[in-house]
Amino acid sequence: MILRPSLPGISGLLLALTLVLGGCAGPRAPGPQEASAAPENFNDPYENTNRAVFRFNQNVTDHVLIPVAKTYKNVVPPPIRQNLHDFLQNLNGPVIFANDLLQGQVHLAGNTMARFLFNTTIGMGGLIDVATRLGIPYHDNDFGVTLAVWGVPDGPYIVIPVLGPSNPRDITGMVADGFADPANIAAGDRLYIPIARSVAQGTDALSRNYASLEDLEKTSLDYYATIRSIYRQRREAQIQHQGTNLPNPDIFSGGGGGGDESLPAIQYTMPETPKPPEAPPK
Amino acid sequence: MMRRSLLVGAFLSLVALVAAPPAARAQDAASFINNLGVQAIQVLGPSVPQATRLARFRELFSDDFDLRGISQFVLGPYWRSANPQQQQEFLRLFHEYISETYATRLAQYAGEPFRVTGTRQENGDTVVTSQIIRRGGSPVQVDWHLTGGPGSWRITDAYVAGVSMRVTQRDEFLSIISRNGGRLDGLLAMLRQRVAAR
Repeated sequence: MILRPSLPGISGLLLALTLVLGGCAGPRAPGPQEASAAPENFNDPYENTNRAVFRFNQNVTDHVLIPVAKTYKNVVPPPIRQNLHDFLQNLNGPVIFANDLLQGQVHLAGNTMARFLFNTTIGMGGLIDVATRLGIPYHDNDFGVTLAVWGVPDGPYIVIPVLGPSNPRDITGMVADGFADPANIAAGDRLYIPIARSVAQGTDALSRNYASLEDLEKTSLDYYATIRSIYRQRREAQIQHQGTNLPNPDIFSGGGGGGDESLPAIQYTMPETPKPPEAPPK
Repeated sequence: MMRRSLLVGAFLSLVALVAAPPAARAQDAASFINNLGVQAIQVLGPSVPQATRLARFRELFSDDFDLRGISQFVLGPYWRSANPQQQQEFLRLFHEYISETYATRLAQYAGEPFRVTGTRQENGDTVVTSQIIRRGGSPVQVDWHLTGGPGSWRITDAYVAGVSMRVTQRDEFLSIISRNGGRLDGLLAMLRQRVAAR
């Protein structure tokens, strides 16, 4: 449920799924804060199916993904894990750059471009995140966020096997990003390359976050509902935070969980912060 | 003479003891949160027994959080439809449940620096922004929403990396209630069981 895939291999399947489900996405769904105002409206019409897939994913996570991530963490020394993390993160550069531009965030695009150039050259192909040390921190971006910025509604909540929480908008974004990614294009027919990359990204992310996830699961009374809420709020925050100097929230995403964001302690103002409604509806 | 000055000394220190806490609490929002962070961090980490951590979190939640307001928020419409006994029981169970939950979820943050980065006003609330610097990880942004004023600050919500803790809690509780046919009793039973299990 952590994997941030970029593989065209399963993209066809996902695209079909997106078209089917996107077709019944319905009217613009409210943001997560608004959605919470209407208690029984979780915009989750496929909840029973989603819960079944979620249970399956939990088994896969508990019995396969977390053991693999733990082994990786125990066996591979920290500097090498950091190098791999930085390398994978640098590989995302071109797609992030494209989405920065598509959202009209020229300044962010400049940052992404500079990061990619510095890290790919001085940083030895991306193994070392020199850009962060030079004061250009990483930020995540993807086509799901771009679609949201363009006003596309998210559609119903969908739990994808192995990959986890999503919705038609984010599935579309994921597929588009996967096809547009230069590294995937360069890999051509060698599908094992993007697959290995996705597995590596997922393992990297999980090796950093599995303890938090396990605690979250252990303390939740309805883990499915908790994850659904967090996923929606996090995506909404990512959408809101684009173009501000706020860090992207990345507690569960593979993209940004790096040891490389040295954000200055600044006082900032956030335009139109989403705020949960005070008064409960009747 | 000696005895008298001893008495005076004792009296003075008693006065100091009584007077000190309100004086210490009459502080701005940023130092309030900074203080809370300092106190919480002291009981985090594997060297502190879970029971000690839990006891401290119980105190922190009752002293520094607007527990009643949060309880009403997370139950949404079901707070008003609950009878007084149910409300009382929910308040008690919820206090225990979130103390356990956060004592567990935050336990691993031991020794990771916490710093207040600023204060802003938002819809009448005071918001204190802070960061937890994770070892080998990116900083986690935590925004504290406060009500009250110097001497009476109470936390109403915390946004962790853009995710509201009370909205998350509310979505979870309302999901449980709606899956129990809209009955609050289903949630109360789950909370009772969870709290008793520890």
